[in-house]
Formats: sequence, C-alpha cells, structure tokens
Amino acid sequence: MTDTQIIDLFFERSEQAIEELAKKHGAAVSRIAFNILGNPQDAEECVNDTWLGAWNAIPPSRPSPLRTFVCRIARNLATKKYHAGTAQKRNSQYDLALDELCEYIPDSDSVEDRCGARELAAAIDRFLDGLEPLDRFLFMRRYWYSDSLGELAKLSAMSYGAVSVRLHRVKEKLKNYLLREGLLV
Amino acid sequence: MKREIVSQALNLLDERHITQAAVFDPGAIHQLPERIVQMKTKRIISIALAAALILALGIAAYAAWSIHAARQRELKEDFRIEENQVSSYVEYALPDGQEDGLVLLSAVNDGQEQRAYVNISPVSEEEAAAFPDNARYIWRIEGTEIGGSAAPQLPVEMSLSGVEEIREAVRNYSYDKETQTLTLQCLMDVNFLKKAMKELGTESLPLRIDMIIGESEPRTFGPIAFRLTEEQSRYFDFGHAVYHDEELDRDMEIVGLELTPFSAVWKVNYEGAADFHKPGADQEAYGPWSQLEDKVCMEARIVFADGTEFSTGGALTTPFENGTVNQFCGWGSAIDIDAVERIVLGEQVLWQK
Repeated sequence: MTDTQIIDLFFERSEQAIEELAKKHGAAVSRIAFNILGNPQDAEECVNDTWLGAWNAIPPSRPSPLRTFVCRIARNLATKKYHAGTAQKRNSQYDLALDELCEYIPDSDSVEDRCGARELAAAIDRFLDGLEPLDRFLFMRRYWYSDSLGELAKLSAMSYGAVSVRLHRVKEKLKNYLLREGLLV
Repeated sequence: MKREIVSQALNLLDERHITQAAVFDPGAIHQLPERIVQMKTKRIISIALAAALILALGIAAYAAWSIHAARQRELKEDFRIEENQVSSYVEYALPDGQEDGLVLLSAVNDGQEQRAYVNISPVSEEEAAAFPDNARYIWRIEGTEIGGSAAPQLPVEMSLSGVEEIREAVRNYSYDKETQTLTLQCLMDVNFLKKAMKELGTESLPLRIDMIIGESEPRTFGPIAFRLTEEQSRYFDFGHAVYHDEELDRDMEIVGLELTPFSAVWKVNYEGAADFHKPGADQEAYGPWSQLEDKVCMEARIVFADGTEFSTGGALTTPFENGTVNQFCGWGSAIDIDAVERIVLGEQVLWQK
C-alpha cells in the first residue's frame, strides 16, 4: 500500500490506517524508539504512542514523506520520555551517541549562553548542507536515528573502523564550524 | 544541560536531512525530499479500539526486528567475529516493512565458499520439526541451474548424533516459535556464483530458498538480491621451504599458506604432484605423499600473538592448480589472521613475524 493510500485511510478514520502504517513503517519506528530508550518495554510504549500521535495528526496533516513524519514523532516522544526520567537510562545508543557528540561541543556554558536549541539546530542544518552526502548520512543515522556504529557499518557497507574514523572527522569539522560561527568559545 | 540542548537541537533538525538518511542509497542520496506538513492535534476518535490494534501491530513489527537482531548477535558471537576482527563478515539490515519471507542475516566469503545465513518465515513448528529426515532446504539462483543444499544453522561447536538429537537442536537453536522463523545456512561455491553472475549478466543474484516437506510441492521463499561478498585473506610466503619427513623419508616443498578467518589453502609441491592429482592416478604410489599432505594440514601450528595455537585440520579438497597442490581446509569459528606470530611444522619454523 502506498503512503498516499495509507493517508487516505486516516482521512476516512479507518482503523486499517494504523495497521497499514505499522506494517509499512513499524520496523523503522521501533528501531528509533529502542535505540533511544534501550529497553523493549519503553520502546513498545513509545511505538504505540507514535501511532496514536499519527492518528491525532492526520487529518488535517497530509505528511510527505510519511516515514519521516512518524519517525520524528517517535524520536520526539522517545527523547521526551528519556529526559523525563521515566525510561531506563545510561544504556541506550542514544546515550552513547549524545555523549560522543557533546564531547565535540566542549564549553557547556557557552552553549547555553550563546545559543538556544533552535539556533544550534539551524547551525547544524547549515553544517550538514555543506557535508558530503555519505558524511551527512552517517551523522544523521548516528545522532538523529541513534544507530550503533555496528548498525551503521551494516547500513553503509563499510567497516566498523571506517565508520568510526569518518564520524570522528565529521565531529571535528562540526566543532570548528560552530567555533567559526561564533556559537562556541 | 548541554546534553538536553544538544538533544533538543537534534530534534529540530530539518526534515530534509532526516528523510535523506532514512535509507542508504548511494545513487539517491542527493535527491531532495519533499517537505512535510507540520503536525497539528486532533480530537481522539475510537481510541480504545485503535489502541488495542496498535498494540498488537507494534509488537509484530518489533518481533520481526527483534528475531533478526537476536540471530545476528548469536551468529556473530558463535563465529567470534568481533574478538577476531573479521572485517569481511557482512551483516544485512532488515528491510523496512518486511516481517516474513526470506531475509539475509549475514554472509562471509571463505575463498571457496560463500557462506550466507538467512531467516525464512513463516515456518510452522511441524515443518521445522520435519528436519532432518523429512524436510529439505535448497538454495537456488533463479534463472540458472545453480543451487545446493541449505540446512538449519546450529552452533559451531555442537556435536550431534541421530535424527532426534538434530531435531531437538533445530527446535532449540534454529527455530523461533514466536515469529515462526527458521535460520538457515547456505554454502554456495564461489565459482558457481561467479558462473551465475556471468550467465545473468549481473552481480546482483536472485537468491531464493525452496523448502520441501515430505513429498509435497516446494514452498519458495524469496527471491532476494544477493551479491558475492569480499574475501579477506593474508598470504604467508614460506620462501619455498622444504619439509623433510623422517618417518616417510620424503621431502615436500611448502610454498605458502593463504589464510582467511574461516579457511586456509596450504600450497605444497613435490615430485610428480601434478600427475597424482589427475584422474586415474596410481593411488598406491600416491599413498605416502597423501599422508605427507595430511601431515602439513593437520600438524602445522599457527601461533597467535596471545600464545594460543590453531591447527587448520584435514583438507577438504586438494586440487593441483597453478603449479601447486592447493589443500583447502575450513572451520566454523573465525581466527584473527592479523594476529599470527608464527607458523611451525614440527621443529621447523615456516614463518615468523
């Protein structure tokens, strides 16, 4: 079933919409939720909340692409749950990825003082625009989708070591970019 | 606080980047995706009913992903991939939306054989229990005559005897009742796959699995696209070392050893070797040479940096090719070919770091 047909089912308020959405995009959503929360029970709850979120949003929204839309809902819900302290912590890929990234954003005060999340996001977006497609893919999969380095090696058909080295270089570039942009001191 | 700001910033990244990274497609990675419409809230309708449905479907999608990840983890541990730094071992992601059928788990090329590990589902408990006496699994490359036997994947070190022991092991180690998934090993001759690539004019081979229970018609899983994976090997040149065996009173030249994490080819030569490996060769005259060939494979010791030793075991095939006898040996769990310090046969050091 195409995404358009699934969205039409949502507009008809047919419960089959959820069934088809889960069939088509369930694996991607489950993966994000599990990567962030690191615990099957929390992940399952998050996946269910995601379907509910989609049910509530469509209509009036007619999102395209549908996968990005549900993945974003899942990530927002999972990170909210994570930071609210209701999920099992310090074990997930999200933890590791966040720690890794924060290492390259060294001065914690300057982040808060000089920019908010929105400004930082805009700067990272601009930085990503200037990256090689493969580097951008690796960055997003690691820090947005919270995939493990092993999963990334599988996805990109590269060795674990090659992925690790490439990501290290991207983070160095990001650090320099943020310094140049005046977002870090 | 920094962690939260960074996390929030990531949540706010542009949809373009999220969509581009949803699938790895080197060709399409440059395409610009469509923008998505902002989410708005809407009154909940029929929540109770939808929630029950959601719960069941969420679990189904999660279960498919879960058995895929679990089997990959088990195989990787069983084959000792990480501890031996096997870079040629390839794992495949579960295709999005796929909950049954034929799914690739992992593959490794040992030089002679392309080993591929797959999940097939749905397979009922009765069908899984029909192996080994009443079920057969065959891998095939569609559009060619190329194919061979596949078998439920069992732990490498497991030693089994008798139909019932095998049946029980399949139930415990190869089959997952909850998702009705059976894990199989396909051993595919690399030369046959190359032949298939030539015949079909493509490197992407349509792999399928036929399951035949009793006298029934085959049930087909797949096809899915499969590509020959890269071989990881290291060659040890022994500088035409000559090994003298006192017991047999013969000399054999040991040319070198080609080692992969899962196999070895001992390259040896001796007077008349080419003739002994031709059809109809004098087996009586070949006897002592054959013993000496075995001795090289079975008694030579590969010594690793941590002091452990490994024997490649007896050869599975011994063709005479390119001026040497190529004794091919294979095993189940990987070795670290980069950690080899020394190769010895008896008192003779064939190679040293």
